[in-house]
Amino acid sequence: MESTATHAPSFLNTAREQQRTMVEEYYADLAKAGGPKKPVAYMLVGGNLTEIVRSFGYEVVFPEIVALNCAIKHVSLPNILHAEAQGYGLDVCGYVKNDLGLQELGGETPFGRIPPPDLLVCSFSGCYVYVKWWEALAEKYGCPLFVLDVPYMREPEVQAEDRTYLIAQLKEFIALLERITGRSFDLGELRRVLVQSRRAEEGWVRYLASGRHRPSPIEAYFEAVFYMFPINVLRGTERAAEFYATVNTEVEQRIRSGQYPVPEEKVRLVVEGVPPYPSYRTFWDFFRKWGAVSVAATYPKVGGLFDQGFLHDPGRPFESIADYSLAAYVNQSWPLRRKLIADYVRDYQADAVLIHGIKSCRSFTAGQGDLRDWLIHDLHVPTLYLESDHEDPRYFAPAQIKNRMDAFFESLGPRREGGPPPTEGS
Amino acid sequence: MTLVAGVDIGSTTAKCILLDDGRIVGKSLAPVGVELVKDAERALEKALEGAARERKEVQAVTGTGYGRFKVTFGQYTLTEIGCHAKGAHYLFPGTRVVLDIGGQDTKAIKVSDRGEVVDFAMNDKCAAGTGRFLDVCAGALGFDVSEIGPLSLGARHPVKVTNTCTVFAESEVSAYVARGKDPRDIVAGLYASVVSRSLSLMQRVGVEPELTFTGGVSRNEGVVRTLAQRLTLKVNVSPLSQYVGAIGAALYGLERAGNPSP
Repeated sequence: MESTATHAPSFLNTAREQQRTMVEEYYADLAKAGGPKKPVAYMLVGGNLTEIVRSFGYEVVFPEIVALNCAIKHVSLPNILHAEAQGYGLDVCGYVKNDLGLQELGGETPFGRIPPPDLLVCSFSGCYVYVKWWEALAEKYGCPLFVLDVPYMREPEVQAEDRTYLIAQLKEFIALLERITGRSFDLGELRRVLVQSRRAEEGWVRYLASGRHRPSPIEAYFEAVFYMFPINVLRGTERAAEFYATVNTEVEQRIRSGQYPVPEEKVRLVVEGVPPYPSYRTFWDFFRKWGAVSVAATYPKVGGLFDQGFLHDPGRPFESIADYSLAAYVNQSWPLRRKLIADYVRDYQADAVLIHGIKSCRSFTAGQGDLRDWLIHDLHVPTLYLESDHEDPRYFAPAQIKNRMDAFFESLGPRREGGPPPTEGS
Repeated sequence: MTLVAGVDIGSTTAKCILLDDGRIVGKSLAPVGVELVKDAERALEKALEGAARERKEVQAVTGTGYGRFKVTFGQYTLTEIGCHAKGAHYLFPGTRVVLDIGGQDTKAIKVSDRGEVVDFAMNDKCAAGTGRFLDVCAGALGFDVSEIGPLSLGARHPVKVTNTCTVFAESEVSAYVARGKDPRDIVAGLYASVVSRSLSLMQRVGVEPELTFTGGVSRNEGVVRTLAQRLTLKVNVSPLSQYVGAIGAALYGLERAGNPSP
């Protein structure tokens, strides 16, 4: 029978505490930011230009991350409903509706007040809805909008013409920042920020690579999401770089003491897709009851494919920023995304792939059905496709999702062992 | 002698099957209410009564279906997906694909030659194309769902009915009734809609012989005929097709009873 008592998931205690403090302080500082003392730039996570705006003294807000924080704290729905009352349709992205609803409601969240933007940087233009989102904000606040036009990655390597195109836009962006702020661009300051970014990225890569161990000392999807905040929001600060040193020290302790994310690792998964934040814990519990651990996942790479070598380099500031933006996971073509996932299955010795599609985002989700079929039929990798939403709690149907997951995990037993399926629960 | 029971608590009915050394010796079927634990117990008791067997003889009880966790007196649970694969393989050993249309779910299940689940696909969110869909639309036509099975046989110009939303389909049926369309043509349109939705699920797992059709809707001869017309392969339907989940559950209990360590 199913085990009804599910123990709380384990975390890296010191790192989790540090992360919690960093989040609280970040939002507390944001409430004080804005205006002439510390201007605020809104940016998108994919391919973001954090280092450049930080070098001009901006504080950075990522409305996608604000939105997911709202969702995980169960306060996204009022914002979404408010946006729908303004005329945004059911099919519009939940991140967009959360933000636009929140902006109209005054920006107050349980974790602090989100200041309005002084500058809008649309760093990922692969999603047309995102461009419109930034345009709506620009119209509301009357602030400058810079749209970085990032061509899709069509080949595994960055193409020289794409890099040149991006660098030209970065130079335009810097000229805009100089005009707005009245400050001259300081290459030395950018390099100093990039040094910290690089340190954080290397630490993050090391953390994610530890999923290759058997059993895995990390939960590379649900748990890793908690440690994404510094790499995405605080990248370029010394604090973020130090944070990953703490994380990795604790992972090593976990290996030494044999304390793993689940008591017994029964299924190793690669997970693709954005989590259902409004039902995050429930969804996680559905995995843990089966002893299933994500050993690699694509979602933690939306802020950068650092593990594929696209790291910032203080010695090549513009080239490395351009390459990083081009190689953002959301900017990868489907053949490249598919290969990456297949490589993770091989390199992390995964038993299966779980895909979580989100109703909100057709551009990210559209090829996931084909991905499922390719993994099952061409690579013979057991794969389950589930759908709900990352932001809107109305689309998470727990009974249906659990039933599909239970059936999937049941079926993995005979496929892996040639014996009868395991009894549910651990 | 190894007596085991499988109890399938679905969205509409509770089914129980008793197996004695792998042979079916008892069964029961009754609608479910809101007290699922009692429904499950009654299903088992009724099956035991029909087989003239006693509760103490039962060596393993396995719960399946959405209400499987309400089979609180059982030892095992298995999803209805796994059970339908086992049950269909038991009835038709050549089964490679199972189409199960129950009260609120449609499932296409690819099955190995040992009756194990290889892949599956299910309807999402809406119950369009399921038993409930037929129930609602039959009501809009003024029939009980049990009466419409053969009605499509005399259809001459089947209408088109949406299969994306049960409520919209019901409105469409009402509109066809208001326009004076022949009920036989409307029912034929409903069956085409159900089958079309099922086909897209089956195509996701891959259609290959043999196909075994299970669940309450497989009792509807009009749907079975429409399905057979759309496919160029034989469709297995057992008189026990509503019990396939319970049969699979009982078989699982039998495996476990013979090999108790997981």
